[in-house]
Amino acid sequence: MQRIPIKLAKAEMVLAKDAVTPEGQVLCGAGTKLSEELIARLKKQGVLVLSVKGHPVKEPGEKSLSERLKALDERFSKVKKDPVLRALEHLIGEYWIIEEKGEDFLEKLKASK
Amino acid sequence: MDKAELKKRLNDIQSLPTLPPIVSKLNEMVADEDITAVKLGKVIEKDQVLTSKLLKMVNSSFFGFPQRISTVSNAIVLLGFNVIKTLIVTSSIFEVMQASDVGLFEHSLGCATACGIIAKMRQIKNPEEVSTAGLIHDLGKIVLRSELPEEYEAIVREAQEEGLYMRQVEKKRLGVGHGEIGGMLARQWNLPERLVFPIEFHHKPELAPEYKEIAAIVHFSDILIRAVGFGYGGDPWVPGLDHVAWERIKLSKSQMREVIAELDEKLIELQDFTLEIKVEG
Repeated sequence: MQRIPIKLAKAEMVLAKDAVTPEGQVLCGAGTKLSEELIARLKKQGVLVLSVKGHPVKEPGEKSLSERLKALDERFSKVKKDPVLRALEHLIGEYWIIEEKGEDFLEKLKASK
Repeated sequence: MDKAELKKRLNDIQSLPTLPPIVSKLNEMVADEDITAVKLGKVIEKDQVLTSKLLKMVNSSFFGFPQRISTVSNAIVLLGFNVIKTLIVTSSIFEVMQASDVGLFEHSLGCATACGIIAKMRQIKNPEEVSTAGLIHDLGKIVLRSELPEEYEAIVREAQEEGLYMRQVEKKRLGVGHGEIGGMLARQWNLPERLVFPIEFHHKPELAPEYKEIAAIVHFSDILIRAVGFGYGGDPWVPGLDHVAWERIKLSKSQMREVIAELDEKLIELQDFTLEIKVEG
């Protein structure tokens, strides 16, 4: 999931959470696929930010997935021998890969190993 | 510095203006059995600055109430007096921390968020109390930073240069770790033991005389929030896991996946909250 200002929203993106106005009024539900018309209407109603599925917008200064995975591994460097924590590192890495590249990508990655 | 001197320095903190006078008044009021949430709320609401800070905290995403809480008495009913009191006692400390150490501030908010998620998953009766324990688990570090800034700098530097955990260097230089220091202060401020023990024993949750489960959740949440890399707790490493504590709160792989996903979403919301604080000052 990614929170983006509405001006970066594009057609085909899918809402991960309800689109709400700053006053808290829900305009359309999670799971809705955005279209240009819908985005224009949401803007008109005063919506400022949207939560969309995946990670469609690259933010300035944002680390790439491989950089993030490397940093993750470094943070775990003192507890490498702990099986529970190793499993935790693995699950966090998997979650990030799925978020950014999708479930299929992870499956292919596993198959290639 | 020896332990006695450190203790004296910490004792003096009690008399600093960080503890709002309203707290002793509230303590007296709570001792009265006939007191209601509405009456307590009225006393707190006389202080408008405190009220707005308090309402901002209780409405932040780490407590995760679906509706907006708009009055203090409503907050007392929903979160319990222990939580409200802790937020009042620590509000000025957090203010200092927001300005001086955003990393530690985010680490604390993130840990609170993780605590809330796990406490709800384990169906603990008052999950907000566990969130609050997470919020102030590094009280010791916050206080070291503000009261013994030179010593704190030296500890951070040595931890980085020698590749050690903060608490290892604290033990070496001060004779006590930040857990004990935080516990000492929380006790001085008359916070309930349900909060004191988890702060004091967040690195050794099984040594807590009581409330081992809450201590274990805070212990694991600290690990989890460092693992995902949100905020900065003074050194960059994931701390070791206490396996006896882990057995107590063990999560299955699928539960762990659920926690990671929910934490990720909540942390994104939390960034809106910290941004709002930064903008409003």
